[in-house]
Amino acid sequence: MNTLILSERIENLKEKAIHADRYASIEQARIITNTYKKFPNEPRIIQRGLSLKAALEQLSISVDKDELIVGNRTVGIRDGVVFPESGSNWVNNEFETLPTRPQDKFKVKKEDIKEFRNDIYSFWNEKSMEDIINKRYGKRINEISKVVKINQKDHAQGHICPNTEMWLQKGPKKIKEEAIIKLKEASDETKDFYKAVIDVMDGTITFMNRYHDYIMNLIEEENISKDNDLYQVALNCKNISERAPETFHEAVQSVWFLFTILHMESNASSFSPGRMDKYLYPFYKKDIDNGILNNQKALEIIESFWIKCNEIVYLRNKHSAKFFAGFPIGFNVAIGGVDENGDAYENELSYLMLIAQEHLGLPQPNLSVRLHKNTSDKLPKKAIQVVSKGSGMPQFFNDEAIINPLINNLEIDEKDARDYAIVGCVELTTQGNNLGWSDAAMFNLNKALELTLNNGKCLLTGEKIGLDLGNLTTYDSFEDLEEAYKKQVSYFIDEMIKACEVVEQAHQECLPTPFLSTVIDNCIEKGIDVTAGGAKYNLSGIQMIQVANLADSFAVIKQLIYDEKKISKEEMLNALIDNYEGHDITKVMVENLVPKYGNDVKWVDELGAKWAEYFNDKLKSFTNYRGGKYHTGMYTVSAHVPMGENVGATPDGRLAKTPLADGGMSPVYGRDMEGPTAVLNSVSRLKCELTTNGGLLNMKFLPEFFSDEGIDKFSIMMRAFVDLEIPHIQFNVVRKSDLTEAQKYPEKYKGLTIRVAGYTAYFTELATELQNEIIARTSYGEI
Amino acid sequence: MEKSKDALVFSIKRFALHDGNGLRTTIFLKGCNLSCVWCHNPEGIELERKIQLSKKKCINCNRCVEIDTDNVIVQKEKYKEIINKIDVDYKKYIDVCPSGAIDYDSKYYTSEELLEIVLKDKVFFKHGGGVTLSGGEALLQLDFVIDFLKKCNENNINTALETALNISTDKLKKVLPYVNTLYCDLKEIDLDKHYRFTGVKNKLILKNIEYLLTSKFAENIIIRTPLIPNHTATKENISKISRYISDIYPQVKYELLNYNPLGISKYIDLGKKYPLKDNIPMFSKIEMEEFKDIARLNGITNLI
Repeated sequence: MNTLILSERIENLKEKAIHADRYASIEQARIITNTYKKFPNEPRIIQRGLSLKAALEQLSISVDKDELIVGNRTVGIRDGVVFPESGSNWVNNEFETLPTRPQDKFKVKKEDIKEFRNDIYSFWNEKSMEDIINKRYGKRINEISKVVKINQKDHAQGHICPNTEMWLQKGPKKIKEEAIIKLKEASDETKDFYKAVIDVMDGTITFMNRYHDYIMNLIEEENISKDNDLYQVALNCKNISERAPETFHEAVQSVWFLFTILHMESNASSFSPGRMDKYLYPFYKKDIDNGILNNQKALEIIESFWIKCNEIVYLRNKHSAKFFAGFPIGFNVAIGGVDENGDAYENELSYLMLIAQEHLGLPQPNLSVRLHKNTSDKLPKKAIQVVSKGSGMPQFFNDEAIINPLINNLEIDEKDARDYAIVGCVELTTQGNNLGWSDAAMFNLNKALELTLNNGKCLLTGEKIGLDLGNLTTYDSFEDLEEAYKKQVSYFIDEMIKACEVVEQAHQECLPTPFLSTVIDNCIEKGIDVTAGGAKYNLSGIQMIQVANLADSFAVIKQLIYDEKKISKEEMLNALIDNYEGHDITKVMVENLVPKYGNDVKWVDELGAKWAEYFNDKLKSFTNYRGGKYHTGMYTVSAHVPMGENVGATPDGRLAKTPLADGGMSPVYGRDMEGPTAVLNSVSRLKCELTTNGGLLNMKFLPEFFSDEGIDKFSIMMRAFVDLEIPHIQFNVVRKSDLTEAQKYPEKYKGLTIRVAGYTAYFTELATELQNEIIARTSYGEI
Repeated sequence: MEKSKDALVFSIKRFALHDGNGLRTTIFLKGCNLSCVWCHNPEGIELERKIQLSKKKCINCNRCVEIDTDNVIVQKEKYKEIINKIDVDYKKYIDVCPSGAIDYDSKYYTSEELLEIVLKDKVFFKHGGGVTLSGGEALLQLDFVIDFLKKCNENNINTALETALNISTDKLKKVLPYVNTLYCDLKEIDLDKHYRFTGVKNKLILKNIEYLLTSKFAENIIIRTPLIPNHTATKENISKISRYISDIYPQVKYELLNYNPLGISKYIDLGKKYPLKDNIPMFSKIEMEEFKDIARLNGITNLI
């Protein structure tokens, strides 16, 4: 495997993907709107099925002659899709600003804006899901938004890992045939579901054949020779429309069509391919044994797929783009881990996928390596070598921290838990049977503390948004303060749950997903759409933001105010109100005299862990709208920046509106002074059951660290990471100077990728605040 | 007064990468009986604990001045200094300082306290690594060192110790049973130069090396030479050292340490003048290879 090269074809494709302009596309919006106009009285699931079918039949397609894997939902390589069923109001408000907004810019065409307003928005105004949620509960959602950010208000949920293995065994034709049989015996309630399934499978078969025909035309028009790979690509498309894939190349093409169509149906963030090394292996092995595939060719096919994963981006509204900056589209591929018997698993494809990442260094797919106590030495070492190249990938997940909590806390079958994969950034899921709704909401624990310290009033605006339980000066003891904080958090949890239910209900009504439902176990059997609770597992994930700042703030309050009484309560409260201006002495005291989370100081770390546990426990008393469990995660995507903007000065010395800690389990940048082993020990004090929805730990290392000896030492750290039962870790390997240069000369650094939070993005595509925050994170490995 | 078995420690570094195999926790013990002109840890030379006032941390709030009944705070034009006096209790100055600028340069630890710190990373050491005692000259605090190393042995922590060997052979013998790896500096083979560079002659050091390399612990010994430009980093020195040690023990492990200019900033902090030219770079990979070749040509077979 050491001799494998990055071919010219792949390099060409990569260059095109990096340099492609992004446009906002209204083509699918037009098709969807026309379908609804044509079938105004059909039930929603039928309308949705027909809309997808029409898109599959009508959307413009194109193929690049270098491609080994084809298919996209727009002709432009990285276009964002306007999707009116979920949200059109925000598009109407923001269309003109898409090219100039600070984060995730898209170019627009004037005539598109006009057509959108005249023909599309006019139809969807007050009908889109966004409008419905707004009308029902928008005011309340807004009132609590500084503490609780409710997600998926104007787009489908995504964050799901389909049963790709089954898809590869059946293909669209067989799935359609099964739906026809089901339809014959279906009850009145489930008939429409099966009808919609048949529609979307028809569309799928057509879509695949359109690519075959397109390529054959291209071959003819341009006199391309019959031994060109394109001919095989065309044949693949045709074959997999008629039967299950048989070769490795067909299988990978089939996987890509699956994901393209999932994105077409939902226009959501993150559909995860999951454990590709595992389910593609039989195809690979068979072809290798038959002598029709070698590793170089297999790698090229994988790399073609990798590049395709960078071609679907997701158009979000301005606000949401700040929380999910830089297109974390979340094609999450998980390699390694354990098999169904709990034995360590890896194969040649695991390594080919790592090499593909090493060659390309692109933001997608989001490559994850699962580690286990018995994982070979070779796999993490190869993975670390790839990490040292700087794309922030792969990220690492720890089977020892993940599998048991899934079984014990979420009642997931052992077999499914062992087969877990990752969706989005770091969200955990079982494969092919779970609507995890992993981004239901983000809960700002620090804002809740602010309100508890200040009579329920926002420090930034003076507005009363929480419970008035007193203020710092009225709590006689630290325990009194904790008691009040408990009430405040509990109040906002109740409010959050109410809002989550409104959102989920609207999804069921507005955005049933028949195509997705075919690749999620139990939906076809039961005839129930996945949004309506058809899946085997129905979870909802809430993110706790950010325990690091919370631990640090509570530590300061406990030590300096209540225990040592070095700062008076009045002084502390005034310092917070004044954003520490004129309170220099207080500020240096909180910064210097109190240990902080991330330095292996047990009492501080436990102050944070305690509240995460309280929150997690409190959620257990609720059931989500689909009848499943709520659980917690500790990751921010990029939300630590905008959520920080909502929080006034905090007792840990953080100034108003500045970012919170990055990651989710990471210490506040610059406050971890004892090195990586201390950080890992601190993080390990957060119990694994707190992160069944996913945890995130960021670390930054300098490239100099990764000599041969450095990689060996790094492996030691990773083995301990497994033993410490920390669910996740990821690394940025980059010099600060390179990042500051990239800020100055973005055009020279277009290809520079950086780990933001559970995902990699192009550094130059991030807004300045987020860039600055990444630069400020602590670096290790200085020599 | 502190108990006799307390050690005076000026720094503890976890996740240390260059002080032995695997990941290390390196403990720097204060006090040294050499005074190398290039010393990397000048803050660790003196054996006494000293009070200091960090200019970097001080915010000039004058809280210390307000309670200064001992006349120890000196206001300079732009910054403050604190004077070390034997009979002053500095606790009140440390307590009043809001930024932690006033503090001792080192701290006393019992061996139990240090062990507790080391054990924090045991989960890492299980996969490779352990504790390294460094300095200063760790062996100047011999009783403590033996006590502490014994405890590490009892807890299955791999131990390493760095020494310049300017200590009586009898004392050295006492520590050997408890050390997995002993790093011994032989900086300069020439007696006069050694005296000029370090302030001491190398007679005792050479005697100790002979003892170590002929003892049953020879396998645990690594001889090291720091390559200091215009000082120890000469062809003559490296070839003679190599010949000398390989003649005693042909399988001797030998390591050449690249010059590290990072010590400069410490001199600035201490208000001392850096004794070498301050713009000398590290040796390049090629230059390092040349030095290694010299060692190999002169009998070294086990180059680290």
